[in-house]
Amino acid sequence: MKTRGLKLAQQRDRTDQRAELLLGALASAVLLLIAFMIVFVFAKAWPSFAHNGLAWFGPGGNVNVQLEEIFASPGDPAAYNYTLHAWPLLYATALITGCAVALATIVSMLSAMFVVEFAPAWIASVLQPVIRLLAAVPSVIYGLIGILVLVPFFGNHVISSDQKESVQFVIQLDGSSILVGILVLTVMITPIMVAITVDALRSVPRNWTEGAAALGVNRFRALRTVGLRAARPAIVAAAILATARALGEAIMLSMVAGSVAFAPNPLDGVTFFFEPAKTFASSIVDGAEGLSVEPFGQTMYAFAAVLLISSAFLSFAGWYARRAMRKYTLAPR
Amino acid sequence: MNWNRPLAAAAAIAVCVSLAVPAFAAAKPTITMSGSTSVAPLASLLAKKYLTVCGHCVNFKLLQGGSDVGISDVAAGRVTIGNASRDPKPSDPGGLVFNKIAHDAVCIVTNSSNPLPGIDEAGVQAIFGGSVRTWSSVPGSSASGTIDAFVRTPASGTQDAFQKIFLSSTKVFTGASQKASNGLVQQSVKSDPNGIGYVSLAFTGGLHTVPYKGVACTLRNAKSGQYGGQRNLYMVTRGPAQGAAKAWLKWITTSSAAAAVINTEWVSLH
Repeated sequence: MKTRGLKLAQQRDRTDQRAELLLGALASAVLLLIAFMIVFVFAKAWPSFAHNGLAWFGPGGNVNVQLEEIFASPGDPAAYNYTLHAWPLLYATALITGCAVALATIVSMLSAMFVVEFAPAWIASVLQPVIRLLAAVPSVIYGLIGILVLVPFFGNHVISSDQKESVQFVIQLDGSSILVGILVLTVMITPIMVAITVDALRSVPRNWTEGAAALGVNRFRALRTVGLRAARPAIVAAAILATARALGEAIMLSMVAGSVAFAPNPLDGVTFFFEPAKTFASSIVDGAEGLSVEPFGQTMYAFAAVLLISSAFLSFAGWYARRAMRKYTLAPR
Repeated sequence: MNWNRPLAAAAAIAVCVSLAVPAFAAAKPTITMSGSTSVAPLASLLAKKYLTVCGHCVNFKLLQGGSDVGISDVAAGRVTIGNASRDPKPSDPGGLVFNKIAHDAVCIVTNSSNPLPGIDEAGVQAIFGGSVRTWSSVPGSSASGTIDAFVRTPASGTQDAFQKIFLSSTKVFTGASQKASNGLVQQSVKSDPNGIGYVSLAFTGGLHTVPYKGVACTLRNAKSGQYGGQRNLYMVTRGPAQGAAKAWLKWITTSSAAAAVINTEWVSLH
């Protein structure tokens, strides 16, 4: 009997060991996959960076023409054309993502405060599942609504013919614009931010806000000064998640933001918002047809590499911000 | 034609599956094709039809990649046939035979509220080159305000054909809105009274097609050769086609079954 018990114990140990090995292997496989992906993308992208140096990130020339020339490269690898100054793409990516995340942060904080503190119970109970549902809507649906409704509306009714004529030889204002891109992107990323912020506000200890209320502060102020502050790490996390989604958004922006590489000029006043632009992600989608042309494909990989670096940097910034803000929360230091 | 790619892919898979089943008949010749994404949907439809007609007498393998890929593949002997949607260039490798299989018309389209009575080569170049930017300077236009030109992304085959047929050396206006597919150009022009663009003949629904050099862009005019805005679709072989490929190309260019397949969206040669 004794030996049998021992055997069973040994078997259990072995089962545990097997599980440990299997899970460990899976985890390292994921790490390997990521490492392989990074190496692969950078190796593919290297010629594009190497030929342009730091000028790759700078302004100069017209990116549409440059992409066209890269695509039309002659067949001889020695004569490949790589010249690219991708500033308009970089600028458009930062501009559209930044504006959308800023807008979405404000909107989501206000709506989360409403859901948590002010909404009648039945509204809150309807709103929450709806918000979660909205967060899961595929982006191409937003793109369709953008291109079928918003773009024609802006092009035909909002942008005046004077505005169109003022820049007519530089760029065409047909409704597809950074404004529509930012608006649709904001609608896309707000739900996930609301959902995270609501959870964070709910987890703020009741007696903290009650303490503020006891000092004679009204509900809005108590929530703003105590609740939102305590929830800051979660809000940062939500903003980071939203930024990542916005950075990678390709199809929708390719559909509504014009898909022509152009750096909108803030000096144009209101017209600035009606000017089109193209982000890195939508450039990759638009260029997918030309991937078989080697230098063109390598340029697309260069866009992908920039996006990869940005998202890596983003997660690092998020981790750092959350660490810096830990003192506001109940989490162990 | 990008819009057809899912269909083409499905067809290609169907072709592959239908070939994989009787794979034991190892003696069957194989025709491999690569190249133009514009020809691929047509090629896969034709291949499907050919298999039922000749009783699975050959194996087909269809890859895409663009006209230039097809031409360099066939020149290097990697495939039997290279599909191309552009005419032969002087810089192409020697010894290739461009077998014309069909025509495809490229139509200039405007919003139906702006039925432009006609346009000539200079007009197309002025509008898409960006030197004319208001409709009031376009003769016959009933629209007012700036012109919204919709073009295709540089990697598109339709863009390539448009550049060669209509623009020759004129460069496309860099401010023009670039769309990724025929369907998106169609949608944009449909919802923009000031819009103008160009699409394949199959995508002119709901739009006004502008007669080019006085000839309307219709399947009939394209077929009679009067309409100038058409491109040729080719199957390129290294030297004259031989064996199974010869029979297949002969079937495409002579049989009425092939013509029926082609005439659904393209123009057959016979």
